[in-house]
Amino acid sequence: MTTIRLPAKPESLEKLIEAISGFAETAGYPRGKIGEIELVMEEVLVNISNYAYPECSGEVEIRFHLKNETTLILEILDHGIPFDPFSLSEPSISADLSDRKVGGLGVFFIRKVADSIRYRRDGEFNVLTLTFSK
Amino acid sequence: MEFKTQQIEDVTLIHVKGRIDHRTAKDFENALKPHLDECIAGDFKKILMDMGEVDFMTSAGLRVLMIAAKTCKTCDKEKGEIAVAALQPLIKEIFKISRFDLILKVFTTVQSGLENMSSTSAGAKK
Repeated sequence: MTTIRLPAKPESLEKLIEAISGFAETAGYPRGKIGEIELVMEEVLVNISNYAYPECSGEVEIRFHLKNETTLILEILDHGIPFDPFSLSEPSISADLSDRKVGGLGVFFIRKVADSIRYRRDGEFNVLTLTFSK
Repeated sequence: MEFKTQQIEDVTLIHVKGRIDHRTAKDFENALKPHLDECIAGDFKKILMDMGEVDFMTSAGLRVLMIAAKTCKTCDKEKGEIAVAALQPLIKEIFKISRFDLILKVFTTVQSGLENMSSTSAGAKK
């Protein structure tokens, strides 16, 4: 298990995403799958950076490992305000352009692109567990 | 990110290169702004974006595209048109998931986009 903890700021995102994609590359994930992992990670981390700590600064921690050589398991923790990504309703993607809302797609991508996603509030922490198969 | 603009007949072709994410979405928005401003000013605009060298895009990039599409449509329901071409696999996937094909015209190649959008057949020849 590898753990990285950094301030939940936009400047940290690149380092965190590079660490995960580098790990996935070494583990033999195909380029297309690494792109999906980077997409989901960016959406998760941007949300934490923008919304988790509205009145103070905080940290984000990522724990990751490979299970059975085939599945990347990622845990993303923050101690910001509770946020369950399943609490948001899905955007109306079939609506006509004039009725489509700008935004709201980030969480939608997290839910659709990761192979599995689980959220729990553990004490003062939001814990998001994501998996990606090769 | 890099942007190069070409005017081919009545189509403004914008070649986009790089990653469109939370850091670069503003650059993307700024690159499109002059063209959208012309649209707002009542100018006839057909914008085709060559995305062949964009291998990564997040919801921040889609947000810019959504605003651009809404601006084009609001300004000129008859003539304003914005489209993308040559999507890389990941971008194609996020377009499919988010049904952005309902928002923007998507062409397999730049050539097919030019052929479809240009009002003259000569416009299809680069």
